[in-house]
Amino acid sequence: MIFFVLLLVLILIGQIAEFFIPALPWLYNAHIYIVPVLVFYSAMALPFPLMLAVALYAGLLLDALTVQVIGTKVEISMGWSILLYAVLAGIMHGLRPLFVRGRWEIHCVLTGICTSVIILAQYLMITFRRGSLLFTPEVWWQIGGPGLIAMLMAPLVFWFLQWLGRVTGYSYLSERSIFE
Amino acid sequence: MSRTNIVALLIFGAILGYFLSFGPDTTRKFQAGIYQLLAPFLSSGSGLQKQITSVRSGLKSLEELEKENTALRVENRELRATNQGLRDVEREVNRLRHALNYRERSVFKLLPAVVVTRDSSTWWRSITVNRGKEDGVETDMAVVTDEGLVGKTTTVASNISLVLLVSDENCKVAASVEGTREQGIVQGERVVAGLTPALYLNFLSKQADLKPGQKVYTSGVGGVFPSGLPMGAVKSFRVRELDGQAQLTPAVDLSHLEDVFIVTGKK
Repeated sequence: MIFFVLLLVLILIGQIAEFFIPALPWLYNAHIYIVPVLVFYSAMALPFPLMLAVALYAGLLLDALTVQVIGTKVEISMGWSILLYAVLAGIMHGLRPLFVRGRWEIHCVLTGICTSVIILAQYLMITFRRGSLLFTPEVWWQIGGPGLIAMLMAPLVFWFLQWLGRVTGYSYLSERSIFE
Repeated sequence: MSRTNIVALLIFGAILGYFLSFGPDTTRKFQAGIYQLLAPFLSSGSGLQKQITSVRSGLKSLEELEKENTALRVENRELRATNQGLRDVEREVNRLRHALNYRERSVFKLLPAVVVTRDSSTWWRSITVNRGKEDGVETDMAVVTDEGLVGKTTTVASNISLVLLVSDENCKVAASVEGTREQGIVQGERVVAGLTPALYLNFLSKQADLKPGQKVYTSGVGGVFPSGLPMGAVKSFRVRELDGQAQLTPAVDLSHLEDVFIVTGKK
């Protein structure tokens, strides 16, 4: 339970930190996203109900802090990020047995892909609202760039969170025998 | 699937449905509440970021210092020349003021605000400022600097507000071009590739034939933005199938905003 609460606190800190991390000009202004990495780790380390709670919390924060309300129009309604996080975290949760057995490679790669999927989904949603579907190299870099960065960050973040889990007495490693 | 998981999924679905049913007003209120809750953290983060930036910018190599020194010498000479020119202009302005009995006045009531955060997302261009309802800020108020228009307030909490920048595709501003009768709508771009976002002045007549350097100002049509605020200068003009479009260089450097003013009304 302590670990779960700590994860929620880290997600909040990550979400606030994202405001202050500048976009990378050498990567077509791609942004660095920390929260998806934390959410996807939670998807693998936590049981299903808690995974849903994390997706709800992170999606809500993301929507509340980024959604645009202009006049009487909301560009992406509240709740869409929750749904996105839940679906993607659900997919990651399905690969939990592999993760518990100590195989992280696929999950690191998937974390990057899922981060990009979130940004792509946002882009598609705003495109359907605003019209004119544009897919320039800049768009692809701004979608793929954060995914690549998340992929590189994932092993380090996963290692830190696993250490945190051990320190707080939460370890999914005890479940290893079930999946072996 | 175990019973616990099914129950969790049902509860999750119900909460999700509740949030998806939010209308614009409820969303705005909820968003304002979250921003208000996080305002102390965002302000602390902003202070920390400024400290880190100042330390980082203070560490320069000898080569950089030499370059900077040379650039400053050139700038100094330019400023001296400009200063001399401005003295002449000042004299002329004073003469005209006396002649026309103009009173020194500012048209707008301006509320100074400090930028707390910049956009954290890929597709939206916005900033937050440290002023809100308690300071008299409302939704759809223009935000400016001494250089020109910055954007407008969208979500306003007690002492923090979200400002949609003019460089966002959703921020549409009626504008007119200096020295012509041309009017159009200024819009940002969806994807910014460079450091400086470009603005586009759409719906011009095909015969507009604007020249680079021509200034673009808000026209005041629509009621949100007062007229006469500088928006940028024409960079290029092209004729499209149905209208003319000009690309503008923004008057305000939106990537380095620190202090802004919120237009709360007219004097």
